[in-house]
Amino acid sequence: MIRHHPSETTLAAYAAGSLPSALSTVAALHLARCPVCRRSLATLEATGGAVLDELTPVPLSGDALSRLLDRVDEPAPAPPPILNPDLPAPLNRMVLGRWWPIGLGARYRPMRAGDGAWGGLVLAQPNRSLPRHGHAGLELTCILSGRFADGSGEYGPGDLSEPVVDHDRPPLVIGTEPCLCVIASEGMKLRGLLGLAQRTIGY
Amino acid sequence: MTQPAKAPDGPDHAALIEAIAVRRDRAAFADLFAYFAPRVKAWMLRAGSGPTAAEELAQETMLAVWQKARLFDPARAGASTWIFTIARNLRIDSLRRERHPSDLMPDPLEEPAAPMQADHVLAMSQQEIRIRSALAVLPPEQADVIRKAFFEDKVHAEIEKELGIPLGTVKSRLRLAIGRLRSVLGDLG
Repeated sequence: MIRHHPSETTLAAYAAGSLPSALSTVAALHLARCPVCRRSLATLEATGGAVLDELTPVPLSGDALSRLLDRVDEPAPAPPPILNPDLPAPLNRMVLGRWWPIGLGARYRPMRAGDGAWGGLVLAQPNRSLPRHGHAGLELTCILSGRFADGSGEYGPGDLSEPVVDHDRPPLVIGTEPCLCVIASEGMKLRGLLGLAQRTIGY
Repeated sequence: MTQPAKAPDGPDHAALIEAIAVRRDRAAFADLFAYFAPRVKAWMLRAGSGPTAAEELAQETMLAVWQKARLFDPARAGASTWIFTIARNLRIDSLRRERHPSDLMPDPLEEPAAPMQADHVLAMSQQEIRIRSALAVLPPEQADVIRKAFFEDKVHAEIEKELGIPLGTVKSRLRLAIGRLRSVLGDLG
């Protein structure tokens, strides 16, 4: 049962396409498992459709339609290959780095970033804490398996954590299972081992 | 396939998309292009693309409409909503391609959906019309926040700065606006 959801502003930015890609990936992982948020997203996307209808049209160049009609029989581009069959969409088709140790009992596997947010997979053992660096902007974490707890409650698979205030202590893995989650954050560049891992694949 | 409902105040865009899907109908495509391409270009410009990029993205969107017409399901989204999501995904891809050509935007519309009942199909095609009338009667401060989210390439911290109101207020206005929009869809959204 999913108990923790993204804020309305985060969902609206996702629907509008203005969320940086790493954050958008984390939101997509939650949406795939959360019918409540998918309903809100459908409303927001319908709002996007209504907004499109409302806009004052800006004409295209005179021959745009005929040039396009010349191209319509081109085959549609193939979807990108599945690179990580063990991970849920959209992570399964994304380029990921290798696993890097980031301290005792925790590993980090970066995804490519570059539009203002970094992110990747974190695997942490029971009683270990997760890295968190979100004091410069929006930070999202979605759990794939296992559980963690922080000052705002307990989180399980599918739950999305979007801290509203700077947290004084990082989330701690609870239970007997390791916790696999995907984390993405805006703002500051990473230092230390996490930064080293992220730099191998790019900000 | 269930007959999509005709919008009372405009051409039946869903039927045009279906005509492309079923018989590669170029005249239907021309009608759809005339309505949507200039609006998609306008949206790209508002979202921060330059004029050349906006023109190209509008063309790419319409090409994708042709290529993906068979995937359009009027039970899941109205025509404007479907085309908006295609345009949005292409815009994100283009921003990403500048750095990492192999990454992609999740495309939930391409995943198979559970079949829906006929009355639901009718209701979904009315969704945009209802949302449009609801937007017109939203309190101005709520409509402002929701339009800003779609029109400008801004994450909420920037909306906060621009409107000069605290982030908590941005969030609560958006929450009210989304709740109001969802309620006009009744139990059909």
